Amino acid sequence: MTLPLFFFYIFSAICIASALMVIASRNPVHSVLFLILAFVNAAGIFMLAGAEFLALILIVVYVGAVAVLFLFVVMMLDVDFAELGKGMLQYMPIAIVVGIIFGLELLMVAGSWFITPEVAGGSVLPIDAGVENTRALGQVIYTRYVYLFEAAGIVLLVAMIGAIVLTLRHKPGVRRQDIATQVGRRPKDAVEVVKVESGKGI
Amino acid sequence: MTPAIGLGHFLTVAAILFTLGVFGIFLNRKNVIIILMSIELILLAVNINFVAFSAHLGDLAGQVFALMILTVAAAEAAIGLAILVVFFRNRGTIAVDDINMMKG
Amino acid sequence: MTSDLTDIFALAPAYPELALVIGAVLLLMIGVFQKNNHFMTINGLAIGLMGAVLVLLLFAPSDGVLFNGGFVQDEFSRFMKVLVLIGSIGALLVSVSAAEEHALNKFEYPVLVLLATLGMMMMISANDLISLYVALELQSLSLYVVAALKRDSARATEAGLKYFVLGALSSGMLLYGASMVYGFTGQTELGAITEAIALGEPSIGLIFGLVFLLAGLAFKISAVPFHMWTPDVYEGAPTPVTAFFAAAPKVAAMALFVRLTYGTFAPISTDWQQIVIFISILSMVLAAFAAIGQNNVKRLIAYSSIGHVGFALVGLSAGSQAGVQGVAIYMAVYLAMTIGLFACILSLKSDKGYIEQISDMKGLAQSRPFIAVIIAVMMFSLIGLPPLAGFFAKWQVFLAAVEARLYWLAVIGVLASAVSAFYYLRIVRTMYFDEPENNFAAAPMELTVVMGLAGLFVITYVFTFGGPIARMAEIAAASLH
Repeated sequence: MTLPLFFFYIFSAICIASALMVIASRNPVHSVLFLILAFVNAAGIFMLAGAEFLALILIVVYVGAVAVLFLFVVMMLDVDFAELGKGMLQYMPIAIVVGIIFGLELLMVAGSWFITPEVAGGSVLPIDAGVENTRALGQVIYTRYVYLFEAAGIVLLVAMIGAIVLTLRHKPGVRRQDIATQVGRRPKDAVEVVKVESGKGI
Repeated sequence: MTPAIGLGHFLTVAAILFTLGVFGIFLNRKNVIIILMSIELILLAVNINFVAFSAHLGDLAGQVFALMILTVAAAEAAIGLAILVVFFRNRGTIAVDDINMMKG
Repeated sequence: MTSDLTDIFALAPAYPELALVIGAVLLLMIGVFQKNNHFMTINGLAIGLMGAVLVLLLFAPSDGVLFNGGFVQDEFSRFMKVLVLIGSIGALLVSVSAAEEHALNKFEYPVLVLLATLGMMMMISANDLISLYVALELQSLSLYVVAALKRDSARATEAGLKYFVLGALSSGMLLYGASMVYGFTGQTELGAITEAIALGEPSIGLIFGLVFLLAGLAFKISAVPFHMWTPDVYEGAPTPVTAFFAAAPKVAAMALFVRLTYGTFAPISTDWQQIVIFISILSMVLAAFAAIGQNNVKRLIAYSSIGHVGFALVGLSAGSQAGVQGVAIYMAVYLAMTIGLFACILSLKSDKGYIEQISDMKGLAQSRPFIAVIIAVMMFSLIGLPPLAGFFAKWQVFLAAVEARLYWLAVIGVLASAVSAFYYLRIVRTMYFDEPENNFAAAPMELTVVMGLAGLFVITYVFTFGGPIARMAEIAAASLH
């Protein structure tokens, strides 16, 4: 067994095991933590396949932002998760049947590669071994795929509008920082110098 | 790609992850947070597929596709959680009534 | 490697999309920086913007493939984009009077509708698996937010959540299929995929990818067995939003469905035809029977729309140019009927609020005869009775099926229409033969106009609009190959 293959088995075993724990744990906080573990190991798999940039993006964006967002929401919502977990057994039989059929079918297709490793036709953008992965992606993303780049920007704009319009509430009586007022404050507005005669007080 | 690892290996891992994701949706019908995480697992499986095909074909387009999926999936997670938060504010729970096909 | 962005004139085929995105961002800015809520202004501007884009599409057509194959503008996409724009304009028009009651009077609503429309137009023009996915998600994400926009309502947010979960699952399936297609052909551009498929025998992986792609898209057009979300979302979402959901997104998703099957996967048409026939029959039959027991108007319309997707797919099942022409005509007629029907429903406001149940329409013919007549016309057209528009739409798709020797499919379609007549006529009976219970306020002007236009379209279709639409649909269908 070669070293890459050894690492591949380690990464994929941990990835699958933690994915199983994501859907099986009773406590959503554990689920999120296992999700992070699955992402980190998937990043290792990406790395083995030569997609270095994506591997690091997966860790930075997914573990750093999305998984933490999940964690944040789990903590914010005060939910009785033990109550929710009760319904689980009810769906177990149908879930297992669906899962097994689905899994077998997909494995069949994946397995067809072992039997007939056919190589498909040409490729869109041949990978140049002399150019490192990040540079290669950077060279196409703003030129050939600029349309997708712009479209992804609009998608993120929609996500921003959506998150704000759905969750932002203007509560009356909340004191917010007003930078202009803060900066505009002068010493004479705040401090008063008073001459106090001794023994009299103000 | 390292020739030591065949494409079939990657596809098998992705297939198992995808199945676990779909399985998770059916298993946790009431716990929406886990359902959202299952969707993330499904997208992760798809990404492994794309990266593996990209390496196998020696083609960068698969990685561009995976990059787009990562971006869009982040936006999707944000919107999903936002909807979940407003739902929770209204109901005080995150259990969604079953989708009943024959209702009414 | 060059980018098309360096030459503004080379971008002419994408001008409509560019105008929409720039306009949407501008309107967003106007909305954000205004102190008061200017919903009416922004809504009016959004309608005006889409109208301008419609004029641009119709009178300054420019075809071509842009962005290294990521975007295509042809006769087919222009036909479908015109429909989508009409659908979105109609949805914004009918929501003007009802916006406040449904808590939609925020400036974000028209902006999100604009962005969703942009996503639909990009979907219709998608010529690459990657741009297809990004456009589809742009549309879907906007729709999820719009569904839950009435954020203080438990029903609306639940509808949004259900729509989100099932929509995200369907996107995942579509992506898995896309990854298979990419892996087995080595291509992402649709034209190149067609060439790669035509080279050899289709492998099992490719068929698998096709099945997953179609399953993901079947969710978006809400065809059985991926229709479960439709009744719940239509019922839960505010009615103006439902009007939007039922019209434009269906047209866009159907356009994508047609482009992928009839266009891209043409070399393996026997494989996808089986799938399309299967979901078409299921949609027609299930919708016809499930709608009978419904009492809620919006649930009924949801099942009705599932059935109509089934009828449209009959045309696609034929796999012929006439069939695709039939689908295009069907979507045009469906759009007009849906917008007209929702204009009627949104103008029925009694002192108890907007109507929800079919029984609320009792005796409508006495209190509001004009609305009752329009609803009745829409119902007869939805059944497919001559000489109304619905008849000619169904005629075209069934004819295509018969020409492709799918006799039994056409027979099942006709039978399903007959069964569906049962629940459509129930509404007519409720309106005309029951004693009135509610007093309805007079319909606002813009709703009357929309109702009138839709009614005019449906009634005079055979003399006026039918010919031009059939011709345009024919050119559109021919441009796919």
